[in-house]
Amino acid sequence: MATVAPGQTAQSRPKRRRGPGLLTAILVLPAALWYALLLVAPLVIVFIFSFGIRAKNGGYAPAFVLDNYARAVQKSEPFILSLEMAIFGTIGCLLVALPLAYFIATRARRRKGLLILLLVIPFWTSFLIRTYAWLLILGPDLGLAGLLQGLTGADKIQILGTPIAVMIGLIYGYLPLMIFPLYVTLERMDRTLVEASKDLGAGRWATFRQVTLPVALPGLVTGSILVFIPMMGEYVIPQILGYGRTYLMGNALVTDFLEARNWPQGSARAVFLIVVMIVTIAGYVWFVNRGRTTRDVSVL
Amino acid sequence: MADQDLDAMLARMGGARMSRRGFLRAAGLGSAAAALAACTGSGGASTSPSTAPSVAPSTGGSSEAPSTAPTPAPSYTIEKALYMYNWAQYISPKNIDAFKAQFGVTKFQYDVYDNNDALLAKLQAGATGYDICSPTAEFVPGMVEQGFVQKLDKTRIPNLANIDPVFKGLWWDPNDEYLIPKDYGTTGILYRSSMLPSIPASWKDFYQLVKGPASGKTVFVDSMGDVFVFPLKMLGFSANSVDHDELEQARTVLLDVAPHLLALDSNTYGTKMAKGEASLALGWTGVLEQQMSKVKDKGYVVPSDGTIFWLDTWVLLTGAPDPNASYAWLNFIQDPAVQAEESNYNLYATPNDKARPLVDPAVLNNTAIFPTEEQVKALEGSKDTSGNTQRLDIYEEFKQNIGKA
Repeated sequence: MATVAPGQTAQSRPKRRRGPGLLTAILVLPAALWYALLLVAPLVIVFIFSFGIRAKNGGYAPAFVLDNYARAVQKSEPFILSLEMAIFGTIGCLLVALPLAYFIATRARRRKGLLILLLVIPFWTSFLIRTYAWLLILGPDLGLAGLLQGLTGADKIQILGTPIAVMIGLIYGYLPLMIFPLYVTLERMDRTLVEASKDLGAGRWATFRQVTLPVALPGLVTGSILVFIPMMGEYVIPQILGYGRTYLMGNALVTDFLEARNWPQGSARAVFLIVVMIVTIAGYVWFVNRGRTTRDVSVL
Repeated sequence: MADQDLDAMLARMGGARMSRRGFLRAAGLGSAAAALAACTGSGGASTSPSTAPSVAPSTGGSSEAPSTAPTPAPSYTIEKALYMYNWAQYISPKNIDAFKAQFGVTKFQYDVYDNNDALLAKLQAGATGYDICSPTAEFVPGMVEQGFVQKLDKTRIPNLANIDPVFKGLWWDPNDEYLIPKDYGTTGILYRSSMLPSIPASWKDFYQLVKGPASGKTVFVDSMGDVFVFPLKMLGFSANSVDHDELEQARTVLLDVAPHLLALDSNTYGTKMAKGEASLALGWTGVLEQQMSKVKDKGYVVPSDGTIFWLDTWVLLTGAPDPNASYAWLNFIQDPAVQAEESNYNLYATPNDKARPLVDPAVLNNTAIFPTEEQVKALEGSKDTSGNTQRLDIYEEFKQNIGKA
């Protein structure tokens, strides 16, 4: 998906004389094993489980039924809510990340390293701890809710436990995954393109829309996908910041596996989620990539 | 992120002994965790003798000499060793010393696990060498099925007569063949008296409070089996009901309270109460000490219209190397004085009702630990109803309506 601009292809790489040798095989092996054992094998297991039935004391018993899928489709409210939250969350991340990434890539100059370091620092702390910290930040005592209460004089402003809190948590939690791909593409952007655009009479908005944005598109697509996928399966944030009141797909999976101890049902839901995601993302990538070869340009 | 991680981390943050109930919620992940642990876990007690708690043999100086007069003279040769696999800090060291002195056991190995899944995983990995362990009751049927537990010769445990019949003959062991009740706790109502106009005594009171003064300030633990206890018991049904009409009535009640709930939260509901965000909760007693230790007006009620309990048990493992010492222990520990010392030490209620009068009054009169005898009569053992689809559908609908006006 990461399209390489024609001028950047490595023509100078020496021609390979032999086919893949032993060294290549050895180097690829760990990644291949990792991929096979920890991604492919579990997925196959989940897929097989999804046709099974619940064992008497919970878990999985072999069978071939489609009931689990029928239920996964029928009980789709958590899925739809997850989809809404993930779409808005991705847009939110984009709105925050694009100006920030643009600033760091083009305007920050000497402070670039420092700013990137500041973005990375939160990763030194556990995701769980950072999410708990938002309880204080949004809370009624010292946090945003208390501040708003004081400013507006309202009796009670509740932020925690609402979808807004979940949304803030989602955007915060996944923002760096959006910033970094955007930053990388914007950093590599040829600044003379912008100058050329301005020379040719395009204003700021037209330049942004017709030059900067298309250049940033690969990063934008990568970032959106990196952010969207984990948001669809998010469990901890709705549980902690949403007070268990925003019932998303991740929470539904936990109910299936831990409360009902019905692994086949949970597996079917998971497969349903994976399939819909693959279709959605394939469609999204197709949509943004369509007709990228030629583009009409106007001074607006 | 797995729920267990969350629980474990919170427990560490609290720096307190983890509430035993917290582990049960993670039960569903059992086999997965077990399979994982099976790959890494090896070596039973027999291979790690160095980890034995170094308790010096008692010289009879034990202040609490148990009245073991009724114990019949053993007609078996008691082995010199006993290998126990148990929860941390769950057995009084005084009792261990007394046992060693009385039966001439010189090596008393006490290894610990911190959840039922860890115990299962170790057994599945072939941990031989242990004699007895203490799984939570609902895990015992699975252990029996897998052949980890042997049938008890009850003639060798006369002190079983001391155990309250309420805790016998339950679904996990209908004929009392495999397990001996050890300690139990309840699902009930937590409250902060200063934030409520009245203190609830029953699920009926609870219902009125949730819809009225505690609206928007009530938390339920996120556990299907426990949430259903409230409507079903209030309506006078079994907490384990799978009857279609009864569950429909329970559904009406749950959907009626759902808009009034602040949160569905099994991990930090005590913190929410401590901060005053919540005044009422349906939950377990663990958080009273762990998250609400500084709260003065906290309280816990075992509802008068009945509730369920969890039960930890004693089981004798298949191939126990020291069967005679094990039987000696299983009988010894059910002696009323010994059992009273257990409750004084681990602060859990004993199902041994002959021990009740001997328990320290400060412990006995704390209803968060010991339900009253009246309340014990209204207790019902929980069944595994997690396979019922109607319950699941209702629970999901309930979850989707929490906080929705």
